[in-house]
Amino acid sequence: MDGDKADPKEKLLSNAFLDLQRLGQNGEYDRALKVTNRILQLSPQDENAFNCKIVCLIHLSKFNEVLQLMQRQAALSKDLHFEKAYCQYRLNQTEEALATVEQAEQSYRIKELKAQILYRLESFSECLSLYRDVIKNTHDDYSDERETNLTAVVTQLQHMNVKNDTV
Amino acid sequence: MPPAMEPVPAKPLFYDLALNFVHFPALPEKTDEGSAGKHKGTGISG
Repeated sequence: MDGDKADPKEKLLSNAFLDLQRLGQNGEYDRALKVTNRILQLSPQDENAFNCKIVCLIHLSKFNEVLQLMQRQAALSKDLHFEKAYCQYRLNQTEEALATVEQAEQSYRIKELKAQILYRLESFSECLSLYRDVIKNTHDDYSDERETNLTAVVTQLQHMNVKNDTV
Repeated sequence: MPPAMEPVPAKPLFYDLALNFVHFPALPEKTDEGSAGKHKGTGISG
């Protein structure tokens, strides 16, 4: 608790973060969650550990728990817009999810999530232009799936018989 | 009498890609990885 104990605590923490990194890479989120809890017991305001805990809970489909935790820990959650919006999206709080992504910095993962939110809200025109932006500017392993989503958007637009000059 | 059957369009396939981008933050200063190569930008002649 005092200065003399700082060193072993640091050592414990740095080992715990090494474990966390490995478990995250292997997708072992149930075990990683336990490590984040251990870190947060030692160091309750650790932003990295908190962020990792939120990620674990999402991969364990505990979306309600994430939102409750974010409410209790507002300061630690202030930059986790993407994670918050994703949980709202999965809980069908779709309008709230849209509001959350609009507060966030516009990274490509935020745009990807926003496109999915707009699809669910049936704002297909806006969704289409967002997908075009994301497809043009991302180079990852998901381009096939993204093209499939684009096709779904185009299909919905045609089906709705939307007059649409942007296509 | 049941209502007449009518065709409905199939729901197009739509993937949740955002979940793939839910990942841990970079944990640099917490692990020892960065410390050895910390000054790698510095040349031998300083």
